[in-house]
Amino acid sequence: MHAQRHRGADSTGFALYGEPLDTGYIVRAMVAHRHELSQVLELFLDLLRAHGSDFLADPSWDEATTDHVSVRMVIREPNSLGDWIRQVDEHSDRIEVQSVGRSLEIVKDLGGAIEVAEKHRVHDFIGTHGLGHARMATESEVSPTASHPFWARPFADVAIVHNGQITDYFTWRARLERKGYRFMTGNDSELLAVWISDRMSQGETQDDALIRSLTEIDGVFTFLYSTLDRLGFAKDRWAIKPLVAVIGEQSLSIATEEQAVRTVHLDEIEVVNFDGPSLTRTWQTNVSLDRAA
Amino acid sequence: MNDHEVIVADRPLRECNQDIRDGIDRGLAVRVIDTRSRHNLGIGLPSGARIHFEGSVGYYCGGLNNGASIRVSRNAGWAAGEAMASGDITIDGYAGVSLGASMRGGLIHVKGDAGPRCGVAMKGGDIIVEGKIGYLSGFMAHAGRIIALGGADEACADSLWGGEVWVAGPIASLGVDSKTEEPADDEIQEIETLLATRGLDDASRAWQKIVSAQRLWHFESRDASAWLMI
Repeated sequence: MHAQRHRGADSTGFALYGEPLDTGYIVRAMVAHRHELSQVLELFLDLLRAHGSDFLADPSWDEATTDHVSVRMVIREPNSLGDWIRQVDEHSDRIEVQSVGRSLEIVKDLGGAIEVAEKHRVHDFIGTHGLGHARMATESEVSPTASHPFWARPFADVAIVHNGQITDYFTWRARLERKGYRFMTGNDSELLAVWISDRMSQGETQDDALIRSLTEIDGVFTFLYSTLDRLGFAKDRWAIKPLVAVIGEQSLSIATEEQAVRTVHLDEIEVVNFDGPSLTRTWQTNVSLDRAA
Repeated sequence: MNDHEVIVADRPLRECNQDIRDGIDRGLAVRVIDTRSRHNLGIGLPSGARIHFEGSVGYYCGGLNNGASIRVSRNAGWAAGEAMASGDITIDGYAGVSLGASMRGGLIHVKGDAGPRCGVAMKGGDIIVEGKIGYLSGFMAHAGRIIALGGADEACADSLWGGEVWVAGPIASLGVDSKTEEPADDEIQEIETLLATRGLDDASRAWQKIVSAQRLWHFESRDASAWLMI
């Protein structure tokens, strides 16, 4: 990601998939003001208990000097993830949940890849796969919560990173909101994550939903969509946005630019350029994935 | 005479390009190693320069070429040779999207395939691709020739304004406002003569020559539905 910093790095984020919990969820959230942290956590606990849940361990948070605080919590499964998150989101000006999953943890913040990785100790994380994103905001705000990756609310363990613009964003957002989905940002990437997850909740496979997105969503895009056990991408019909990959038997490195995967693979190796129009592909992730950026 | 060796690795790009220029100024052939697919290498090089990138390069390699002879021994990223005026670029592997975009002269020779929009908006010069040219190749080109020996992907020569796209091998589909034309013998001879300079002449090829149908030359908005692809 640092190798792609010239594309813009107003904010950076990581969606990390660690060893899945047998029971309960890991919640990553951003508390808006550090001085409110203890009150906000009390409020959060009340909301958990109201939905049959509780903390399974003491929450932890970053000790940085920024006003916003990144918090990690492990919770018992609420009776209904959708009902619970809808109620929590009523307090999103004080605490915004950034990911929920047995495995998924999204950390994101302002600044470049090295800065954000160090602040949130990303290098210490051990897991199967991950998405990363360095953002240059074009059409929505710059803030710690508006950066990528996005969690597909309320689908546990689903994350997305996206390079592009969705031109029928408002049409699709209105349709999805009528179905009960809620969005925390005005960012089209958040919409894509929910759009694919919604199709999959209706029985489509990830591959089929990605293929459908090529004709039903208008715009130029390349996005990576990840669940606990499958990572895939879709690329628009105009072949506008780049994507390259080094595909090994036990590993996958995939990025916008070849020079990013070449920071992992220093030798000249076989690089697949997904340059054509209307492309999709998915990979099983229960093998070791070394990088995705 | 010894070559001038330039190591790219993770050095600042400006330093690498300055190093390349130093070698050229001393009249030496330049070898560039550990290229790591970095962007913007070897831009605006002058006539007489000889430079060999021993690896893959990133975007815009050889852009604004002004007469240099450039070789890339593996793949080139997007828009290699963009807006070049003269000289030649040889890419031994795959060339990414928008190869030779807006080029005005000179020759680009790709030994593998070329990605989408090969020769987009080109205004002159020649592109030879031994493999296949990608989706929308020749898009809105005004002049020059794209010669593909291994076929063409969808929407070949879409919105071609002028110039020619020559294809040996299958064409997945033609783009809007382009048409195939029966090439005259002397035209084929001219193409084969050009290919012979690269050791690629083969009299047995079945050529398809694609030119502009020229209907978009007189575009009127009431006809827009004829051109929309969605």
